[in-house]
Amino acid sequence: MIQNFLSMNGYGPFIWASFSITFISCAIVFYKTQKTLKKYEREFVKEINELSAVKRKLVVENSKIASQVLSSHSKTI
Amino acid sequence: MFSLLSPSNIFYWIEKLISFINSIFFILLLVALSFALIFSPPDYLQGDSVRIMYVHVPSAWIGLASFICIALLSFANFIFKTKNLIIITKSIAPLGLMFTLLAIVTGSLWGQPTWGTWWVWDARLTSMVILALFYIGYIVSHKFILSDERANKISSIIAIIGLINIPIIKFSVDWWNTLHQPASIKLTGASTIHSSMLTPLLLMFFVMLLYCALIFLMKYKTEIIRMKKKNLKRL
Repeated sequence: MIQNFLSMNGYGPFIWASFSITFISCAIVFYKTQKTLKKYEREFVKEINELSAVKRKLVVENSKIASQVLSSHSKTI
Repeated sequence: MFSLLSPSNIFYWIEKLISFINSIFFILLLVALSFALIFSPPDYLQGDSVRIMYVHVPSAWIGLASFICIALLSFANFIFKTKNLIIITKSIAPLGLMFTLLAIVTGSLWGQPTWGTWWVWDARLTSMVILALFYIGYIVSHKFILSDERANKISSIIAIIGLINIPIIKFSVDWWNTLHQPASIKLTGASTIHSSMLTPLLLMFFVMLLYCALIFLMKYKTEIIRMKKKNLKRL
């Protein structure tokens, strides 16, 4: 039964290749996108932390995005 | 309206949406794959090779739809000059390219058992390759042109010119003699596909759309942070 399922009446190589290529490509793009996002988040938080206390306060107060990235980053830590 | 959709207003919701999609994605993927590979019947003519349709057709739809979105938003950007629109189009483009290439590759894998050849330079296949080239042009112009303003202008022109190719892809099977079959699913008029095959097809399309939404949100978030990072340096 499993052999029948895998061979798909002789079309198995074409079907499995199509599905594999699709899902492997999707997985690679997901992994790369997530990695880039995390990298940018880390760098952004690092740069905010390197600012002087006054500037940091100014950035956090004026930018919703900065404060959200900081809070989500502290949660993951 | 554009201020409501500004990055800072929707940033909070992006995080929530990413978590939501992550939580339901794998269950839906399993359901869709079960239908596509197990429950759907083989075609009376093509046999089991018809199952390739469940990845090929949604990929082609997404490739086309993404380019239409990019072109329309680029056109809107010419009028409204909103940076947000550029961020959105930049986030959609890699996804569109990936799905266009997947449609070409899976189409080739379907062509071998069905037509007896991996590739023919007929109207549908060639116009899909041209679509991929437009995507590459769009992405490359953003990557290699250093001035943001110039890159936006050139990429928008590429997208708007590329829009001409979309009706050519759609109607290529009607206008020319091609190996590719005409559309089985029509927005207007009755579809010629049985519900036992239409259900898995729509399920796979929905799952791929969710995947696109997930990647788009992550890329959009990355672009916003990149922009904010640039602004931080100016302080």
